[in-house]
Amino acid sequence: MLKDKIQAALAPLNLAQVSDGDYSKTGYHLEVAAAPGQMPAVAQALLEAGCFLESLTAVDLRESFTLVYHFASFDELCRTVVRASLAKETQEAQPPTISRVYPGADWYEREVYDLFGIKFAGHPNLKRLLLPEDADFHPLLKDFGAEPKND
Amino acid sequence: MIELGIEEKSYTLNLGPQHPSTHGVLRVLLTMDGEYITKAEPVIGYGHRGHEHMAENRNYQQFLPNMGRVDYLHALAYNQGYCMAVEKLLGLTVPERGEFIRVILSELNRISSHLVWIGAYLLDLGAFTPILYAFDDREHILDLLDRITGSRLTYCFYRFGGAPRDLDEEFITGARAFIKRLRSRFGDYESLVTKNVIFINRTRNVGIITREQAVKYGLTGPTLRGSGIAYDIRKSEPYSAYPAFDFQIPIGSKGDVFDRYLVRILEMEQSLRIVEQALDKLPNGPIMADKVPKRLKPAAGEVYQAVESARGEFGCYIVSQGDIKPYRIKLRVPSFGNLSILPEVAVDTLVADLVAILGSMDLVIPEIDR
Amino acid sequence: METKTGDPLIRLGLLEEALNLARANSLWPLTFGLACCAIEMMAAGMARFDLDRFGAGVFRPSPRQSDLMIVAGTISKKMAPAVVRLYEQMPAPKWVIAMGNCAISGGPFYYPNQYAIVPGADLIIPVDVYIPGCPPRPEAIIESILMLEEKITKRGRLRKFRNVKG
Repeated sequence: MLKDKIQAALAPLNLAQVSDGDYSKTGYHLEVAAAPGQMPAVAQALLEAGCFLESLTAVDLRESFTLVYHFASFDELCRTVVRASLAKETQEAQPPTISRVYPGADWYEREVYDLFGIKFAGHPNLKRLLLPEDADFHPLLKDFGAEPKND
Repeated sequence: MIELGIEEKSYTLNLGPQHPSTHGVLRVLLTMDGEYITKAEPVIGYGHRGHEHMAENRNYQQFLPNMGRVDYLHALAYNQGYCMAVEKLLGLTVPERGEFIRVILSELNRISSHLVWIGAYLLDLGAFTPILYAFDDREHILDLLDRITGSRLTYCFYRFGGAPRDLDEEFITGARAFIKRLRSRFGDYESLVTKNVIFINRTRNVGIITREQAVKYGLTGPTLRGSGIAYDIRKSEPYSAYPAFDFQIPIGSKGDVFDRYLVRILEMEQSLRIVEQALDKLPNGPIMADKVPKRLKPAAGEVYQAVESARGEFGCYIVSQGDIKPYRIKLRVPSFGNLSILPEVAVDTLVADLVAILGSMDLVIPEIDR
Repeated sequence: METKTGDPLIRLGLLEEALNLARANSLWPLTFGLACCAIEMMAAGMARFDLDRFGAGVFRPSPRQSDLMIVAGTISKKMAPAVVRLYEQMPAPKWVIAMGNCAISGGPFYYPNQYAIVPGADLIIPVDVYIPGCPPRPEAIIESILMLEEKITKRGRLRKFRNVKG
């Protein structure tokens, strides 16, 4: 079973949490919590287990960011979500890039940088992707722009 | 050896953002050595409209029309993905007839998307006749969909809990007549395109994508299935009413442009099979779930819903904090991953081959830019 | 002629009218689809709704060879300089049709916190005809070509039944 294979591959990495997800409610089979520094090792383990990177994004939780990685597999259904929490003050401690393992993450990380301002250490080409190169704001931060008037 | 002092400089060619291919606004910076490409770098963002930011400023119902504009060619699949994600958060179950209606309309939309692709792709390659045939067939589908949904292109038809309007007798007879008509047209497409020597020469052994590349870049959809990997969300992670139907997933063998074209043609036939079976088995009953709250306040939590659109896997990731507005919505679009492989596949090809490869990935740029 | 290029230096009288008639009946549009409206523009040029019977079916990819720019789709801030540059590259006499709600006023994407789009093509280039709709039906595109013809020739399509002042 792919889920057991992934759990076995992640066991030696000493992650904060590896638990079953409630598929019918959330769409995840495995929920994993890791530290941002462990992400390249996690990505390598999942690549060897045969998974591909489905999506990479971030959520701004006001006091911190959460990087959310989704992995799935072509051969067997098992969706793994890996969440890495990133404190806002420690901007020097940038999360390492996983684009050495998954080249497809290159563009996803550029998009996260563009929309949130999170820089990835070791990224080959960290430029803005969607906004013009000379833009000076990160639109998906919760304190971007005035408060919306009424809806 | 005497050095003649001739410097070889590479030539930079800027393709787009306005160019005759009908993909939208894509810009590709090409560094070329003569006619051969040494480096291809796509520049995107010319169609960025801020969908994800709009999601945080709108409530769930107000965001629904946006989904038709993300990928306008297969808008109903995006509608379906978003509605299913929110229904998971709310705990709603769509009744069976509602699911069948969703599948029928979505598959007809898939066929019309593939027809647009065939027409536009062959126009890129220089053939003018197939686009006229393809758009004519597409108009018949649009007549049917227009009857029920009210729109021709950017549908906003499904609601949380089902579908708002039922199919009528005229739609069902029209759909059956259309299935018969399109099946008789496949022979025309085959003789005009699939067996055309010029087309085969331009597409065979061009732009080969291997399985390792597909895994590393996260490709999905016909771009992936052309390389021989049978991954289709409708079969791998069945949703809605798809388990009730019998259909196949066509795959290619070599991973070149011709295989991706053939996969899409065969997919149209499979979609016709699904529509036929759905019309035969259409159950009676309600089309909307009862007790759908007027003010939607989903419970706090996260959900990821994947559906198969004409281009690949569309994933809708919603983070809710119990408010009437979503906290964060991430739209995982198939063309994003499919385009990111271009720098690797386009090396050492001719510019004319680049047009063939770019078109074969079936990109919709506003979807990448969101 | 239009006041966009100022008063003409030489007035040619009847020849002007003949030239305007020729220009109106052979508009060559620029293929400028930005987003969803591009597909409806393509459908308007295809077999069922045939723009070619009005003379406007020859879509040119180069702005130097076209005299009509149909802005079909949302103009993002990144794309706006390119739109202006294309407009400037077209030789006069030239006309612009703003197709779809996005090109008229930002469409469904306009809201107080919008950071990414230019709400309307007429903020950056002069527009002659507006086609509302999201997306507008191909019949509306045909109607807009006919309205533009009326604007160019300064005479109504059905002179006996309509009063059009140019």
